[in-house]
Amino acid sequence: MEEHTAATVSTNPKHQALIDRLSTRRSSTPATSSDSARQVADFLASFASTKLSIEQSLSECRSRADLDQIAASISSLEQLVAQNSYHLPSYELRSCLKSISDLRSAFDTASSGLLPRKKFSFRNKAAKKDEEPKNVDQSLEISIKPSENDKRSNLSVRDGPGFRNEKDETLVKDFRLCDIGQGDFTLSDLENCRVYLKGRVRALFFNRIRNCQVFTGPILGSVLIEDVTDSLFMLASHQIRIHQAKATDFYLRVRSRPIIEDSNGVRFAPYRLIYEGIEEELKESALGEETGNWANVDDFKWLRAIQSPNWGLIPEEEWLEIVDISEFKE
Amino acid sequence: MGLLSIIRKIKRKEKEMRILMVGLDNSGKTTIVLKVNGEDTSIISPTLGFNIKTIAYQKYALNIWDVGGQKTIRSYWRNYFEQTDGLVWVVDSSDVRRLEDCRAELHNLLREERLSGASLLVFANKQDIQGALKPSEIAKVLNLEVMDKSRHWEIVGCSAYTGEGLLEGFDWLVQDIASRIYVLD
Repeated sequence: MEEHTAATVSTNPKHQALIDRLSTRRSSTPATSSDSARQVADFLASFASTKLSIEQSLSECRSRADLDQIAASISSLEQLVAQNSYHLPSYELRSCLKSISDLRSAFDTASSGLLPRKKFSFRNKAAKKDEEPKNVDQSLEISIKPSENDKRSNLSVRDGPGFRNEKDETLVKDFRLCDIGQGDFTLSDLENCRVYLKGRVRALFFNRIRNCQVFTGPILGSVLIEDVTDSLFMLASHQIRIHQAKATDFYLRVRSRPIIEDSNGVRFAPYRLIYEGIEEELKESALGEETGNWANVDDFKWLRAIQSPNWGLIPEEEWLEIVDISEFKE
Repeated sequence: MGLLSIIRKIKRKEKEMRILMVGLDNSGKTTIVLKVNGEDTSIISPTLGFNIKTIAYQKYALNIWDVGGQKTIRSYWRNYFEQTDGLVWVVDSSDVRRLEDCRAELHNLLREERLSGASLLVFANKQDIQGALKPSEIAKVLNLEVMDKSRHWEIVGCSAYTGEGLLEGFDWLVQDIASRIYVLD
């Protein structure tokens, strides 16, 4: 019957039939809302009982094997929430997520009590992660190889402004004397260099820096630092991300929390740089005030309540004196 | 998208769309979400974990999951794939060096079966930075055309800093999802 009316009304009978069937179906199932309410209630009940059993095993846990088991249960519970998040009212969702983060911190407390150095479970996970993308990468390379070469050459032509492949040099750039300030600037493959960047720039990238000292004026956007060793950085920026840094000191002024990842032996202190006009430049960049965030470092490889062993603060008596770079000209 | 899931959508009183925002760290995901929602973007720390925002957009409620992009936490993206209607992939158009990483991570993600029905919006962000690659160049490097037959996708240049392009991108995404899901309107 549906098909019949559809054919007369619509130019697209199949489509119309589908619509009719759907609306009939909808009207014939008035119990929808109680259905989904029951679904939510079921989920919440099973969530609560799982949570209870995890809490119980946490309080009884005595060995590493227990801990691994608990970690696995917590993460499968989290996944369950993510799967059901679509049906859950937002309050329930939030309270579930809160419960999970409470469980995780209880877990951290339990595991730090049990094992002072429990970097172990992280290693475990990291190893798994590494494996997967590797396989994927291989298949990717095969499937996309033909276009790879022209892309690369295409890109290398477009290398932006920066200092690259320098050794034993003093490098000075004044963004007030050029129009690069509205763009980004890259420092890569530097060894034994002293680098002075004056004036404001939008973004900075660092890559493969060895035994260098770098002093910069304000950066309006973000700084991305990768693979640096035995160096010193003095930076003022809105966002700072530090990856694969070793034995390096950072003197920072930053509006948000700086982060480190895959780093160790890195230390932090406040920004102490002057050159002609820096006060106004900092102020215009909303970096005029010390925020104290130089000490609020998040270590993405150490998501636990206790202090990360990968970074620390430089004791005040070891801080550099205020550094004046006025004399360095481009 | 099977018939059952269409029915499930129709049943919903709220016209909700679930949007997953992903991309490498430092690409500007959180800034985009806050900017679209008219919030302050001057102090944003790198995302440890994720943020959820529900934004009323046109006549829809966008449920936006903004998930951190640092390497350590990318493996957790998979926890958020379920029921995703739209995928937003954010690219830092000034970060030429990591575009290869960016492409590998994107194609890795698109292989995921649970995301096979999702529309894909690529934001070529940071267009306000001088020297940033243009959306057409980003599309080429990311090899987006291979998806022409398998997925609805679009690339839009934008600046989360100035707000330019953001609404254009979300307009496309919401329209595209709506035309797939809310066929009855």
